[in-house]
Amino acid sequence: MPDNVITVENLNKSFGSVQAVEKLSFTVRGETCFGFLGPNGAGKTTVMKLLYGKCLRDKNDGTVVDVLGYDPAQNELAIKSLSGVVQQEDNLDDELNVIQNLWIYAGFYGLEKNTAKKQIEYLLEFLELSAKAKSRIKELSGGMKRRLVIARALMNNPKLLILDEPTTGLDPQVRHLIWDKLHQLKKRGTTILLTTHYMEEAFQICDEVLIMHRGRNIMCDSPKNLLKQHVERFVLEVTGSDSMSVLDSTELSQQVRIERSEEMTRLYSNDTEKLRALANKLEGAQYYLRQANLEDVFLRATGRGLDDKQ
Amino acid sequence: MTNNDTPRIPPLWRRLYSVWFRHVRVYTRNMFSNALPPFLEPLLFLVGIGLGLSRYVTQTMEGLSYIEFLGTGLLMTSAMFTSSFECTFGTFIRLEFEKVYDGMLAAPITVNNLIIGEILWAGSKGLFFSFAVLCILTVFGIISLPYSLIVPLIGFITAVMFSTLALLITSFVKTINHFNFYFTGLLSPMFFFSGVVFPVADLPGKIRPFAELLPLTHSVRLARAICTNRYSASLAGDFLYIIIFIFVVGFFAVRRLRRRLVN
Repeated sequence: MPDNVITVENLNKSFGSVQAVEKLSFTVRGETCFGFLGPNGAGKTTVMKLLYGKCLRDKNDGTVVDVLGYDPAQNELAIKSLSGVVQQEDNLDDELNVIQNLWIYAGFYGLEKNTAKKQIEYLLEFLELSAKAKSRIKELSGGMKRRLVIARALMNNPKLLILDEPTTGLDPQVRHLIWDKLHQLKKRGTTILLTTHYMEEAFQICDEVLIMHRGRNIMCDSPKNLLKQHVERFVLEVTGSDSMSVLDSTELSQQVRIERSEEMTRLYSNDTEKLRALANKLEGAQYYLRQANLEDVFLRATGRGLDDKQ
Repeated sequence: MTNNDTPRIPPLWRRLYSVWFRHVRVYTRNMFSNALPPFLEPLLFLVGIGLGLSRYVTQTMEGLSYIEFLGTGLLMTSAMFTSSFECTFGTFIRLEFEKVYDGMLAAPITVNNLIIGEILWAGSKGLFFSFAVLCILTVFGIISLPYSLIVPLIGFITAVMFSTLALLITSFVKTINHFNFYFTGLLSPMFFFSGVVFPVADLPGKIRPFAELLPLTHSVRLARAICTNRYSASLAGDFLYIIIFIFVVGFFAVRRLRRRLVN
């Protein structure tokens, strides 16, 4: 099994009085995909920035940050030369076309002209952008821009790829294409670290998921184990608060776990028959019986209400 | 494709060069709209002055005709303004709106590399802009070659000096409109009171020391000395002022901007 690529112990970061990251510890094994899940403002982006030296961590005793064998506080250049970063914004140079954008970054990574030329051709092909090589950035769709930013981050064949919400706001086709590419990169030995809001994304591509809330590590495991250990297997979702009145609530709470929000009641149980029997009693009400998913784990872990950072 | 295993960090000169090159590449994309104005502006100025004002200004200034006096000053103001625009509005837009720097800082470039690359780019722009003025002045026979050919180098260090000041201002600015204060409050007065349009010696005695504090005063003196090939020992003081200014203001600009980029 490959060694750990990232080791973080007791990482803290505060902005003034706001504690963005608190006592965070995790390890990322080589050649795996590690996902950060968390509500907006949970501190996911800050963690990414702390890893490549865009943010400076708080000075605490006993803090360890090791990325590819280097500490970002001391050796940010070594880390940056071995990794690629895809930030949330598509920060491309609008004045330049697609291929010129890549040439600028080939310069940043210090690639020789011939190497750069080959690498750029390969990356355009890999991310299916060859036909757009001469296009201006303004002519690109959101999905193309995102792919170009990913291509740019792969310029130096990184050992570690950091992606901050790589598929937010993209259509399903592009999202699946990006997942495919990330799978291929992983197979080739690239370690991937990503943040996402999409539970499905985390489930599809992550080997391990860390759920973060208010700067803390709430739980961390493989998506399958998270499902198995933190939520019942099935959910009955009942729409409308009146519909539930036909069920005896004291009896009900002994049989299943109940989560209520304003217009929706969710009944959780490992026994699908039990839920089906309950559903049959709900005459005419709208209901939906489904398998529990990572979103249920996530909402259970981080709560359904919004806090002031969201 | 195999993954990178050992870090290959580009050497310092390469990192600075790649930042500088990024700016050159973006600037030269619109050659027509970017390269024409630096020639056009001094042309308009000289035609306007030559056709109108100079007839009334018959006195010589520091031994030069008015058009010579003003022309040699414009060599420096063009460098001052281009570098100031680049490192206020330009830098701010890259920093806050386009997030260009965030992307660059994910590549093997440090914040210091980034800012110094930026300063060198502003200097290069100053070199080009004062070269453009030099071309116009030469075509009109206002100054003569060959000794004035080195004056764009003074344009370079002048632009570097003003870029450090502009970056320091930028490090404080929260909204882009605040730059208006800098341009109206500091650069416009400098244009009038640094010996560009009339000699500093003609200022009232109490105000003169303040003119000596203004950075542009020293650049203009150097440029004029080179164009007229008349040197004096006091020019060493002007040169020293500029160098010290660059290092002192540059130090604080880098320090403050670094905090804004890496927090």
